[in-house]
Amino acid sequence: MFTDPWLLVTIAVGLFMAWAIGANDAANSMSTAVGAGAITPKQAVIIAGVLEFTGAYFFGKSVTETIRKGIINPSQITDPTVLIYGSIAALLAAALWLLIATKFGLPVSTTHSIVGGVIGYGIVYAGMGIVNWGKIAQVVASWILSPIFGAIMAFVVFKAISKTILQSSTPVKSAKNYSPIWIGLAFVVIGAMFYIKVMHGKSLLIALRCGVLAGFIAFLISFVILRRNFRTADPYIGVEAIFKRVQVLTSAYVALSHGANDVANAIGPVAAVYAVATTGLAGMKVPVPRWILAMGGLGIAVGVATYGYKVMETVGKKITELTNTRGFSIDFSAATVVLIASWLGLPISTTHTVVGAVIGVGLARGVKAINKNIVKDIIISWFVTVPVAALVSGIIFKILMVM
Amino acid sequence: MQVWTKLFAKSPFKPLIKHAEVVLETVETLERALELWYDKKYQEMEKIAVEVDNLEDIADRIKEEIRDSLTTKLFMPVNRNDILEYLHMQDKIADAAEDTAKWLLIKRPKEIPEDIKEIILKMGKESIKAAKLVHTAIVQMDTVIESGFSEKEIEKEYEFIKEIESVENKIDGLDTKLMKLVFENEDKLSWGDGFYILNIARTLSNISDKAKDAAERIRLMMNK
Repeated sequence: MFTDPWLLVTIAVGLFMAWAIGANDAANSMSTAVGAGAITPKQAVIIAGVLEFTGAYFFGKSVTETIRKGIINPSQITDPTVLIYGSIAALLAAALWLLIATKFGLPVSTTHSIVGGVIGYGIVYAGMGIVNWGKIAQVVASWILSPIFGAIMAFVVFKAISKTILQSSTPVKSAKNYSPIWIGLAFVVIGAMFYIKVMHGKSLLIALRCGVLAGFIAFLISFVILRRNFRTADPYIGVEAIFKRVQVLTSAYVALSHGANDVANAIGPVAAVYAVATTGLAGMKVPVPRWILAMGGLGIAVGVATYGYKVMETVGKKITELTNTRGFSIDFSAATVVLIASWLGLPISTTHTVVGAVIGVGLARGVKAINKNIVKDIIISWFVTVPVAALVSGIIFKILMVM
Repeated sequence: MQVWTKLFAKSPFKPLIKHAEVVLETVETLERALELWYDKKYQEMEKIAVEVDNLEDIADRIKEEIRDSLTTKLFMPVNRNDILEYLHMQDKIADAAEDTAKWLLIKRPKEIPEDIKEIILKMGKESIKAAKLVHTAIVQMDTVIESGFSEKEIEKEYEFIKEIESVENKIDGLDTKLMKLVFENEDKLSWGDGFYILNIARTLSNISDKAKDAAERIRLMMNK
């Protein structure tokens, strides 16, 4: 089955994409924890490496669309080689765009890069008619929805933390009592996802029960661990010291949710080509073999370890203004929104959610200074992602077809 | 790659606190000069008074740096104009101290009645209190934000503001008393010495006036 050289090329390009996702996106998702001083870049690499892989392998979609997000109409593609060349072009364009964005320091969405790549080769192959404009509308909606959900969630989480912990008469004591609840909540989501994704459960009720059980255990364990003394002269420094520990956990939560959500961007097209190579032209959906998921997870982990490390090292040295309670609010909100959205099938981008979460905490008067012009640059880069990826993918596809 | 480092701008509060420290040092140095002046050690006093001028320059430089960094592009939990206005007032405290130092350097007075000199020294001591409180208040403002605008911390901040106002009030009283004394002693004082004393008192009371204005701005920052 590996005799088809194009399959090998696709796998290589898929790995490249996974690497780029790890280098740019995963590193960005974990940067708030590094920036707040909760974990060192080295620890971040280990956490991200293990949990991105775990997230991708266990929580990653076991079935993927032949065409990412059904953005172009697959029934118009009658020639299997088009799908193969197209997938390669889309992956390559997306990975290159991610690298360029990384270079310029812009957190672009990997999902949108790959969507752009698919549109690019689709249009070159069959013209505008092949594009599923309704799906494009969904993608555009996600530009707006991801940051809004992230912002709302982070606003609420930070307000809740400041009302229950920071504003209490004994902040340190309140932090000890309330932070296990937050950890418990994260585990409710993780537990429910575990039931749905890993055990392939269908009942929402059982999923919730699994989640609550996991959450309760996590609550008890963290409650006991946080009993330790955190004595400081300034109560707010004491609270931050507690949240520093809690943030180690939420950074793992972010890595897990990112792996689960974003691995499909690298391995979806690979799975599609694999299905074509093994069973001929496939339908709307193809199964994703476990080894391909593992490969995607591994690629992301390697990306974090090789290039993402550098990203996080710079960030760790430079953001000193971000305290742990704020970092926690951002991490917790982003990861929860991404996990829930990926379960509901909403088109959510991790990157956009994290940026939205930062703004949400800012709106809650939690961050001392946010650069508005950088926010503007980031938003512009989101609008540019799809067209640029489409253009590059179209060119690569044309070259492949001519060859 | 460094999007997070660019997204989070530097907090303006650390440099504001730094500025407050320099302002406090300026006022403390002035008080040292006043003590030497009281003891008639004019030569030493003049050296210290020049130092006041140097410290005011440093405060000015920090002020410029903060102003340059506080562009309209920042999104902050407090109003940018309030911060700028506050900084302006905090800087005026150092300016007022420098003005007093200037008057101290302008001439060596002849005999000045003891009770007048004592009031001036007292005003200097109270001015340090005002400057110290301003420093405490801006540090507390940072804590207020850190605490997510906790009622408890805001309450504490109001206490500091009230204290600044009461110090200002006290200095105002001393100033009035001094003016009266100068005119009561008009026969013993030369025209020049009277003018000299009144100006020292005016610039000294300016220190706490500006401290009060700065405190007023902190009140506005919390009320955004």
